[in-house]
Amino acid sequence: MRHRIVGEGVQRLDIYQKVQGARKYPQDFNMEGQLYARVVWSAHPHAMVKRIDIAAAEAAPGVVKVLTYKDVPVNEYGINIHDQHVLAAEGGKVRWVGDRIAIVVAETHAQAERAAELVQVEYELLPVVTDPRQAMRPEAPLVHEDHENNVLHHISIRRGDVEQGFAQADVIVESDYTTHFVEHAYMQPDAALGYIDEQGRVTVISSCQWPHDDLHQIARMLNLPEDSLREIVPSVGGAFGGREDMYIQHLAALCAFVLRRPVKIIFDREEVTQRTGKRHPFYMRYRTGATRDGRLVAAEVELISDAGAYASTSIPVLNNAVTFAVGPYKVPNARVAAYTVHTNNAVTMAMRGFGATQPPMGYESQMDKLAQALGMDPVELRMKNLLEPGDVAVTGNVMTGETGVRETLHQAALAAGWREESDHWIKPDIGVPSAPHKRRGIGVAVAYKNVGFSLGFDDRSSAHVELTLAESGEIARALVKIASVEVGQGVLTALAQIAADTLGVDLGRVRMAYVDTANVPDAGSSSASRHVFMSGGAVHRACQAAKEKWEAVLRAESGETHIEAKYTFRGRSVRATTPFAPETGQCEPHISYSYATQIALVEVDTETGETDILRFWAAADAGKVVNPPLYFGQQAGGVHMGVGYALTENYIQQDGRPHTRRFSEYHIPTVLDMPQEFQSIAVESAPDPNGPFGATGLGETPTLPTAPAITNAIHDAIGVWIDDLPANAERVWRALQGHKSDAWANKG
Amino acid sequence: MPTLEMTLNGKPVSVEIEPGDLLADVLRDRLGLIGTKVACGEGECGACTVLVDGETVTSCIYPAMKVRGRQVLTIEGLSEGRELDPIQMAFAAHAAAQCGYCTPGFIMAAKALLDENPHPTREEIKRAIAGNLCRCTGYYQIIDAIEDAAEQMRREG
Repeated sequence: MRHRIVGEGVQRLDIYQKVQGARKYPQDFNMEGQLYARVVWSAHPHAMVKRIDIAAAEAAPGVVKVLTYKDVPVNEYGINIHDQHVLAAEGGKVRWVGDRIAIVVAETHAQAERAAELVQVEYELLPVVTDPRQAMRPEAPLVHEDHENNVLHHISIRRGDVEQGFAQADVIVESDYTTHFVEHAYMQPDAALGYIDEQGRVTVISSCQWPHDDLHQIARMLNLPEDSLREIVPSVGGAFGGREDMYIQHLAALCAFVLRRPVKIIFDREEVTQRTGKRHPFYMRYRTGATRDGRLVAAEVELISDAGAYASTSIPVLNNAVTFAVGPYKVPNARVAAYTVHTNNAVTMAMRGFGATQPPMGYESQMDKLAQALGMDPVELRMKNLLEPGDVAVTGNVMTGETGVRETLHQAALAAGWREESDHWIKPDIGVPSAPHKRRGIGVAVAYKNVGFSLGFDDRSSAHVELTLAESGEIARALVKIASVEVGQGVLTALAQIAADTLGVDLGRVRMAYVDTANVPDAGSSSASRHVFMSGGAVHRACQAAKEKWEAVLRAESGETHIEAKYTFRGRSVRATTPFAPETGQCEPHISYSYATQIALVEVDTETGETDILRFWAAADAGKVVNPPLYFGQQAGGVHMGVGYALTENYIQQDGRPHTRRFSEYHIPTVLDMPQEFQSIAVESAPDPNGPFGATGLGETPTLPTAPAITNAIHDAIGVWIDDLPANAERVWRALQGHKSDAWANKG
Repeated sequence: MPTLEMTLNGKPVSVEIEPGDLLADVLRDRLGLIGTKVACGEGECGACTVLVDGETVTSCIYPAMKVRGRQVLTIEGLSEGRELDPIQMAFAAHAAAQCGYCTPGFIMAAKALLDENPHPTREEIKRAIAGNLCRCTGYYQIIDAIEDAAEQMRREG
């Protein structure tokens, strides 16, 4: 029996290059005769563009050309809706400060930078709207003048009879929650190098999440067939959803197309921070009812998300949020109404969790408030209500055999010291604080998240496998071609493990092809925690097909040495998802799931409001663990992002103008801000038979419960609910002084 | 253009630069040493960390002329051919790199620490890398790797 490679902690395929600094990212590529481009950004969050004068900039030293809207063949784009100009047009509008006026191309980066200052723009300023709740009012300024109002999308779902449900409730808790703008803050600034390749294709080397979708959008913009375009994706220095939309690659492609020369663009950190998309802020209103014995009977939820200036993926993000609005609980009577609304704030887009990250702040805070009202342990209350196989979720779908949330709660609670005694759960002794002015508390939160694209989307991934046979007939080498972008998560290593096990060869014989749309097939996006499930499914099946051909070759003794197989794995072949039904919104929302429970032990300084995380337990169930160290990386990295979300990170704008510029003003946690002790618990109670070797996907789920676990712990410590994120020192201190925090008066 | 002479990764190097050039740009653009990464350009994240006479500097804001006549060590100088430094080996063994963009900076910060202090506590390790940001790992693997590298280096003497 051959050794199982799936489940082994094999080293990342790229690790030796990465520890030597030898891995190349887009900014590390240079070409003979290359030019440098600098974007001229909109100076205002909402204005008519009356006139653009490029004469002075074009006359500046070293400038080769200043591109404006007149140079763009089809001047509109967008990942879901083509609602953005590539470059702002005279007589048109700018709607946020990330809109682009022009691109200055020069012989050196410094020359482009200097000349960009010389582009003169005449604006007519328009009133700005920055609060989505105000933007919903009829008198609000219209962000898109051809729309009836600023509501980009509204969806509501209902299940059971909410009024009757609340009538059965012995306790009802009601609260408003807000979450904030969050920057992806990937370490590698966006960069791209556009050029014309040896076959005349407009080519771009870039960091992205879904190269084939970029090509689709660039083809439309340049009015060219997709086969005259090419995108090459070397190493990507983090993404987290922030590179799902195009921010730079289409600009490099446009420059190369117009100038027929290599053109390089690198954003500086301030551009990355201020001119690219963010996580959606949500305004959430929750009303939840339970019986005296702790059974949830009704929930009513309103979600309003800030879509920013353009649609991006705000509609599917909101839809996803709706499906997770009440959490992984049995709620027989529920109503969820949700809106995503345009403002002149930063564009909001995909970010780790895709709409499943904000609702846990609502539903998990509600659970702790209910537990307090009922005098019940928070673990015990959750245990009574978790979805189990056969239960019906709020969207009307039956949860199938692979529902692992209970086991994550069970294992995390035991690890953190909870005791289970005759149906009751008893909170651990958490020790004494390290100083008299400090208070300790412990908090728990659960969450779940879809794997793959949802709600009727035809999610798919394609793999090609080429086997080279030795003279003896054995497989000497397997080349796997699939455009799954390695953004740091380790996807290519996981796929190589799946290929090796399926073919029955050592990992050393498997090679993953370089991601280049000219050579490798579309794998879909590096998002939605989907590659292990979707692309792993494609690789697994392509390798199975290759193996069958190989066995046939051996039987026939044909002497063939080259075997090829292809497979496109479609999510709907294992579970067909459906869109929301009219009126009720009932549906089969998702292909697969992963689950998590997290517990935080914190110490709050009552003099400063600062929260230290002493210990942290993170349990997750994403089916079979493909690679334990990579799994740990998603757990710890996910919690890192969750800790920043909970406590320190906040992208600040005022009247549509960005304040936050850089890392010293946008505080991602340093090593000193992380939990002092961290335990990752890999639960494998819910293998999905539809996933390769039973695996689902873990990329996002570990970020979801972190914030409410921490705010629940803060409440346990000091008796104050923090309903608005981030729970930074100022907000906690103010809450301690008896002031209700105001999310939008916050200044960091 | 002025000429900058330094000892780079153990070898004498002479390169023509502009007076205002920053060390990271000279390393990357004039000398082709792309292992030094620029992530913030403001000296705030540590990705561009190199050693000058054994001390860490953030090369993205460090005037190149300041290294005239001095010893500069970059990530490329840590390994000799296929022979990796024990810190690099430990980072590999502990999966301490994910996207890898911050990795050279962390490794150089670890190098400065371990050259100075072969017996660091976990707290000392944390302090040594507190100026380096990573958005992927959560840092635990990096602390483990540095602790492990210290042990390896002590064992090898």
